[in-house]
Amino acid sequence: MVLGSLFIGRYPLTFADVFQVLGYKLGLPNMTVPEAVHINVAWDIRLPRAILGAMVGASLAASGASLQGLFRNPLVSSGILGVSSGAGFGASLAIILFDNRTFYVYLFAFVFSILAVALAYIIGLHYKTTPTIMLVLGGVIVSSIFSSLISLLKYIADPYEQLPSIVFWLMGSLATARFKDILISAIPMIAGMAGLTAMRWRINILSMGDDEAQALGVNVLFAKGLAIFFSTLATAGAVCVSGVIGWVGLVIPHIGRMLVGNDNIVLIPTSLSLGACYLVLVDNLARTLTGAEIPLGILTSLIGAPFFIYLLKRTKGRGW
Amino acid sequence: MALIEMEKATFAYDTLPVFKDIDLQVKEGEIFCLFGPNGCGKSTLIYCLLGISRLKSGSVRLCGKDINKMKREEIARVLAYIPQLHEKPFPFKVIDVVLMGRASHTGFFATPRASDLAVAEEALERVGMLKYKDRPYTQISGGETQLVLVARALAQKTPVLVMDEPTSHLDFRNELMFLETVARLVEETKISVIMATHFPNHAFYFETSNTKTKIALMNNQQFTVQGSPSEVLNEENMLNTFNIKSAVVTFPWESGHVKQIVPLKTL
Repeated sequence: MVLGSLFIGRYPLTFADVFQVLGYKLGLPNMTVPEAVHINVAWDIRLPRAILGAMVGASLAASGASLQGLFRNPLVSSGILGVSSGAGFGASLAIILFDNRTFYVYLFAFVFSILAVALAYIIGLHYKTTPTIMLVLGGVIVSSIFSSLISLLKYIADPYEQLPSIVFWLMGSLATARFKDILISAIPMIAGMAGLTAMRWRINILSMGDDEAQALGVNVLFAKGLAIFFSTLATAGAVCVSGVIGWVGLVIPHIGRMLVGNDNIVLIPTSLSLGACYLVLVDNLARTLTGAEIPLGILTSLIGAPFFIYLLKRTKGRGW
Repeated sequence: MALIEMEKATFAYDTLPVFKDIDLQVKEGEIFCLFGPNGCGKSTLIYCLLGISRLKSGSVRLCGKDINKMKREEIARVLAYIPQLHEKPFPFKVIDVVLMGRASHTGFFATPRASDLAVAEEALERVGMLKYKDRPYTQISGGETQLVLVARALAQKTPVLVMDEPTSHLDFRNELMFLETVARLVEETKISVIMATHFPNHAFYFETSNTKTKIALMNNQQFTVQGSPSEVLNEENMLNTFNIKSAVVTFPWESGHVKQIVPLKTL
């Protein structure tokens, strides 16, 4: 998928061109020096974008699948605890305060998305009864607070420079991706995905409900906290570079459930790879469908939503 | 030594007292029935035994060890729990559900090994459900679900099973099948059972099938009577506990006698 997307785009590259660039960059012997514009397009623009797309898609899908298990509800997605709105607020704030400097946008988006989940978690912990519902409520509360704050920032932002940047960021895009972005955001994404993959069987057990999971010998408070921590790391790492990309965390795990069943031992790795493929695919569409690029977040929802309606129709009455 | 010992156990929700000064002992190969009116605190008592709720005062010892000093997985290696009503969040396969019983024997970041799978399959075999192992457990009946949960508990390899009204959602045949399975398990494996129930005849059933059976009558925050089913389940105790008129009947069946208590009239 990643390799394939090197060929796709408005600047035509032949198979030989791409091969030449890859070979040259990977230091293979006997390679002629490719044209500079070919290097630029294939290596500096398309490759990092495809890699980042794959990682973002995988992160969102894996954390979506995990949270669905944790909350015992297949309608949960990676944004349930307020990650996305926190990130949106952080990014908007950075755009206004620091004049849209990429590093600060990432940093603020990341910090505020973590903060949003922490807040939702604290609200959820405060009430000791039915903590799952309280966590969801906490997420709803935090999301709405940050959404209002985003609106406030939009209102006070400079309408010619800052407002468009905010709006574009919120639509989600991989357009700014360069190799250094991958390096920054890969750490939390990989850590989160690795953690979720490692504890994926515990997520099965947590989905039995708090009391049963405890009786089965799981320290629920610790296991739940850790699962939320890992999925937040993965999602925050993803949204801070890509902006808000909807539906991947909801729909991809469902496709996985239909393909391999509900056992998280296989479901989470499956979601990882499906999410990666889906986002690279959609990003290629976003780059090529029209002359100007369509923001990625719009396309994922436009494709994801009808598909989800179809899925709901198909799974109706199957005990979900 | 008793497997489970509860001493002077007292529990209250904030200021609302649930039970006071309860003593309880369960030995190997014994079925201990908890019987009492709705809301008398049977489920709470079970949650305290499992360490999910904490006693206000008194102590619980599992295999001689204070429950407050035990980790979750240590408790789960002594007590396995079969809930009253299990909500099925996802259509897991039967075998995946039974495998979850191995959690207390596996590391936090581990997945079940081949040996765990063998234990799970053996447990399914014991309850006669092995043929369903690859079925989604949303597509089996309530009675079969309850047996799968017994298999999950057996996969925990504990000396004690704890059940909270395990037959309350089962039909006539499934209820009997469940009781037969439990009696057979106790006989074959010398496992002990603690069972909260609303059906006094369950205790009689175990007694007549020659299982060591004890029953405790729980009412007004206390165990009012404790003993064998024949000692405890009589007309006087039913009158005091439920304010009903009842009769104990015996009738010959196969080579022995079957005893039942029949409720006649509320007073």
